[in-house]
Amino acid sequence: MIYREAGQYKASYQADQAIFPIAQDRLVMIALLAVAFVVVPFVASEYVYRAVLIPVVILSLAAVGLNVLMGYCGQVSLGSGAFMGVGAYAAYNLGVHLPFLNPLVCILLGGFVAAATGLVFGIPSLRIKGFYLACATLAAQFFGDWAFLRIKWLTNYAPSGSVNAPPIQLFGLDLSSPTAAYLIALCFTLVLGLATKNIVRGHIGRQWMAIRDMDIAAEIIGVRPMYAKLTAFAVSSFLIGVAGAMWAFLYLGSWEPAAFSIDRSFQLMFMVIIGGLGSILGSVLGAAFIVLLPIFLNQVLPPLGALAGLKISTATVSHFEAMIFGALIVFFLVVEPHGLARLWSIAKEKLRLWPFPH
Amino acid sequence: MGFFIEVLIGGLLAGVLYSLVALGFVLIFKASGVFNFAQGAMVLTAALALVRSLELFGQWKWPFWLALVSAFLFAAAIMAVVAWGAERLVLRKLVNQEGIILFMATIGMTFFIEGLAQTLFGADVYPLNLGLPKDPLFILESLFDGGILVNELDIWAAVIAGMLVAGLAVFFQRTRIGRALRAVADDHAAAQSVGIPLNQIWFIVWLVAGLVALVAGAVWGSKLGVQFSLSLLALKALPVLILGGFTSVPGAIIGGLIIGAGEKISEVFAGPLLKDLGAWLATNGATGLGTVLGDVGATLTGIEIWFAYVVALLFLLVRPQGLFGERIIERV
Amino acid sequence: MSAPPRLFNEVLLSVENISLSFGGVKALTDISFDIMKGEIRAIIGPNGAGKSSMLNCINGFYHPQQGAITYKGVKRRRMRPHEAAEQGIARTFQNIALFRGMSTLDNIMTGRNLRMKTGLFWQALHLGPARREEIEHRRAVERIIDFLEIQHIRKVPVGQLPYGLQKRVELGRALAAEPELLLLDEPMAGMNLEEKQDMCRFVLDVNDEFGTTICLIEHDMGVVMDISDRVVVLDYGKKIGDGVPEVVKNDPAVIGAYLGVGH
Repeated sequence: MIYREAGQYKASYQADQAIFPIAQDRLVMIALLAVAFVVVPFVASEYVYRAVLIPVVILSLAAVGLNVLMGYCGQVSLGSGAFMGVGAYAAYNLGVHLPFLNPLVCILLGGFVAAATGLVFGIPSLRIKGFYLACATLAAQFFGDWAFLRIKWLTNYAPSGSVNAPPIQLFGLDLSSPTAAYLIALCFTLVLGLATKNIVRGHIGRQWMAIRDMDIAAEIIGVRPMYAKLTAFAVSSFLIGVAGAMWAFLYLGSWEPAAFSIDRSFQLMFMVIIGGLGSILGSVLGAAFIVLLPIFLNQVLPPLGALAGLKISTATVSHFEAMIFGALIVFFLVVEPHGLARLWSIAKEKLRLWPFPH
Repeated sequence: MGFFIEVLIGGLLAGVLYSLVALGFVLIFKASGVFNFAQGAMVLTAALALVRSLELFGQWKWPFWLALVSAFLFAAAIMAVVAWGAERLVLRKLVNQEGIILFMATIGMTFFIEGLAQTLFGADVYPLNLGLPKDPLFILESLFDGGILVNELDIWAAVIAGMLVAGLAVFFQRTRIGRALRAVADDHAAAQSVGIPLNQIWFIVWLVAGLVALVAGAVWGSKLGVQFSLSLLALKALPVLILGGFTSVPGAIIGGLIIGAGEKISEVFAGPLLKDLGAWLATNGATGLGTVLGDVGATLTGIEIWFAYVVALLFLLVRPQGLFGERIIERV
Repeated sequence: MSAPPRLFNEVLLSVENISLSFGGVKALTDISFDIMKGEIRAIIGPNGAGKSSMLNCINGFYHPQQGAITYKGVKRRRMRPHEAAEQGIARTFQNIALFRGMSTLDNIMTGRNLRMKTGLFWQALHLGPARREEIEHRRAVERIIDFLEIQHIRKVPVGQLPYGLQKRVELGRALAAEPELLLLDEPMAGMNLEEKQDMCRFVLDVNDEFGTTICLIEHDMGVVMDISDRVVVLDYGKKIGDGVPEVVKNDPAVIGAYLGVGH
């Protein structure tokens, strides 16, 4: 009843092309931002930061990045874990070799290094597509795994192979608390997420989608496949790289190559499919879902098992998790390829007409 | 020289096992156009079902041959259930979707099957003893000093793989179902219109792929023990397929052999070779280049994990359809 | 009954001795014809005659083994389809090739991508040049939407549209590029009479108002004879007729090909 757009007229193309053309949506967005920036820092506990907020915010950005490539440009990638790793190790090495750089600058530059790497591994996409390309990105993943482990220069010859992030500070201010990490990550994700939204609703985004929907027709009407695909790879890898650097600097603190293994790639892919291919909002929903579900299962399954007289170990919970994720992937692909984002917009559509749907 | 041949044979025998996994992929891809990422999960599931039921029948004090046969039958039944589920719950619902959607669906299936199999059968490392001999053998002692070391089990694996391929060839060429399968592979709609039941054919194909997975799982399992890493084998089969072509059975075999041999040889020889070259360059003037090459050579260990993929990637750029695949003409 | 033939004096595109084969299959054999600036040129022929292959050669999707294509006075080297598009050749497809996941508006906007130049940086900000450019092209696209009378489906994903409207959106996407040469591959296939009449009107209006040269493939002989200035007839990859509709219509070879009489 409250959610009505009657009486809201768009007088210019600019208003018609706004991200949130409906006034109520704008209000909700502003309220959400206010909660995220002002309320959350007062109420969240350390556990909530570490287990929920920081992972959701950072992985949202990574999922947005993968969605650019998979959801918008239609190029399947199984190497996103490695690109997160590239961002992380690049940021780390920049910090080591150029100590005057602020760690936050290193995070951003890590994204650029990842973008360059993404360009290199994107070149095969000009000749191959579909699961052939998936195989090519697997090459990136395994080469990354190996490089982070074996090329000692990358880890600054650390004997254990594990490296530490520099302490985060800005203008002499210590920003190593979970609250600060959360706010920094939120800023990065919001700004870059907005930038990505802008790109996908502009002509570059339309070129990506054209390539995704019908690459041959796209080329015939004048989309240059090389430009479209390589920009998608670069933007996607940049976002994933920044997310990777944040994951290392703001969340892990010290990490080993296993943090960026193929499991991470699959995790990001699940976020994108469950959240919704080709939707920025969906990437965030997907990230939240994938982070929250295991926490939920770990809380709920053991007591349930105890009720039934079974003892459920953490290993069993993780197997259940795999089963649920797998089943959900198939479910969403069969029933709703646009994922949670589409369910959300259907709900909104219903709400617009409620309570008089006819 | 003897050592080189030893490494080569070791690699070829590992390659036979890659071929076994790749074979399952090719069967399903030919008949249903689905790139079945879950093949590795099927190998794991089959092997787990086999080893766990064998263990159980052993506890019931059944004679070994009976336990073995029953365990194989049980595992085959499990694969039939998987094939039925895949056809009924996934393929049938996604008919006519793009290949890439189906591919992602099989990734979902992979996680589901792995989770279920480990919940049902456990997630530890289980040694598998099928009664195959495992003794090391020295062969060709007259040709090379000290002979060449091979594992008897590997030879058995090669023999089993050969028999499996021969059996499949007969099945495809000589039986009525085989003919129907080939018809479906050529053209779904046309096959359907002459009265070939598509769903039934898909079930049979997945079942056959499941049985291939069972054989692969049994062989790999008795070599390495049945454990989760078996499902990662699926990933190794991808470069094999790229090399051999997605639709070619001989391609899968030859691709597997090339990848197996190539990765072992490069693993053992590439690093030292570069190191030697670097040292030689360093003593002959080109000190800088020599040192760099030496360093690179020293780093080149454990390249097994990416060698196959990078070879496949380079190969893709030159010949996207693989060694034996068919060239695709695009039309609008 | 028909109007006197229009006169054209400038050759826009000429095809000389084109041959194309796939493996052993000959799709086109030694074909030559030209398209004058401003005319409506039809290519007709039975199924499998090589009509679509001919269009595919013209816009660079297929590369003929022999022969040359001269466009705007310049003999063309081997080129990619997007280069042909950059030179002002747009087309529609026999089996609709719209971007199904995008709205009508976005589909037609994509047709203008060649003219949109702002880089990633401004796009990401969506300010200044990027926003100006977006709005300027939106205005042009709205003109096309008005012209094709598809205002009501502006924001509908094209996958949900009925066949006839999809064909119209596809024409809109091609028009958005403001092409000099427009290739239409069976623009009226599968339409009912009313839709065909609409489409004919659009084709004629495009030719008339924008002066766009049109080369179209069509099976409906009535339509072809009514709207085209000159007709090329292909059969089994060979040219068997070329000329104004009246002449072609009465050519015994053409009648033979259509009625199955041996040559």
